[in-house]
Amino acid sequence: MFHSFDNAGLKRPTSRPEWMALLARAPQDLLNDALAAHSTAPPLWLRKPETGLMMVQGRAGGTGERFNLGEITVTRCALRLWGADAHSPVGVAYVLGRNHRQAQLAAMADALLQDPVQHDVLETQLLNPVRQRLQQTQAQRHDRAQTTKVDFLTVAREAGGGVDGDDA
Amino acid sequence: MNSPDLQNIVAGFDHEAFGSQAVFRVALDALSHPGRPLDMPLDTALPRQGHCAAAALLLGLLDADTTLWLSPALASSDAPAWLRFHTGCLIVTDVGAAQFVWVAQGDDLPSLSRMQKGSDAYPDQSATCVIEVNSLQTDAVGWRLQGPGIPAERNLRVRGLPPDFAAQWAYNHAEFPRGVDVFLTTPTQIAGLPRTTRILPDPES
Repeated sequence: MFHSFDNAGLKRPTSRPEWMALLARAPQDLLNDALAAHSTAPPLWLRKPETGLMMVQGRAGGTGERFNLGEITVTRCALRLWGADAHSPVGVAYVLGRNHRQAQLAAMADALLQDPVQHDVLETQLLNPVRQRLQQTQAQRHDRAQTTKVDFLTVAREAGGGVDGDDA
Repeated sequence: MNSPDLQNIVAGFDHEAFGSQAVFRVALDALSHPGRPLDMPLDTALPRQGHCAAAALLLGLLDADTTLWLSPALASSDAPAWLRFHTGCLIVTDVGAAQFVWVAQGDDLPSLSRMQKGSDAYPDQSATCVIEVNSLQTDAVGWRLQGPGIPAERNLRVRGLPPDFAAQWAYNHAEFPRGVDVFLTTPTQIAGLPRTTRILPDPES
């Protein structure tokens, strides 16, 4: 889903928390396309992809007491790019689901985005398409939900109008 | 807790399961043959500070439920971030609250009596102390060790421990079943000193 904080800043570069949030939801095909030049060499693993469970908490109505909604599978990993020295940027990714390859690609994108040279390229080749895709998905879901919408106001008005009509 | 600075963190075991199993096997051997220096398998990237054998031992033994105290030279290095990233252990500043204690070569050893000893009902809730020493020699005059796991006597010469260590150890041994277990490490070897082992000074020394 697309959120308002996913919008690209007008004059400021995307910050790391922002791009990590985008990468966490980036579809694998977009990651594959944007990272085709980098994804052939094996990365230097700090933490190989591992899948675990996270408890999702919710609040009734968004404001009530916290309660445990349920557990979701999350895959995480941390790596340095192949050929990087021991103190080059570390790419970290947490993605929903059990797709190790997707987590690896997201972490590689995170490592590359910390490099100022690569940042601008990836901003246009990866982050913007991801934003568009997320917006599309959200619009599709919104449209699908709209078709099931029942306008209770109309029903009430007709019923009310009928009563009024009888009185008149 | 501050998140560790990832920039200075190096990798852990090359193969997590096999690496930690090999370390655990050596740790078991070291405690079942007290005073016998054993080679530590080192198939892991290591922090800059601290003995390699000690770092690999702790990387294999620690997990998210354990607490670790580090001597000042280690606490200010990249070692705590490395262990915390790979094992999830909790770093504590009070040596009395730690389940594992890692003392760097050259740092003062906190008194063994300050560490957790467990209780008579739960002697397992005691601290395990990893002490870095200059050298471990079995063919030199030093301590004579006796106790479970040693057929008669075993010689061990340790350089780099405080002079009153033998006295502290006698007290630690006397408190059985409570007490602290110790691993002595050089850069490549470890030797176990479980609480059941007696240290006798060599009559010739």
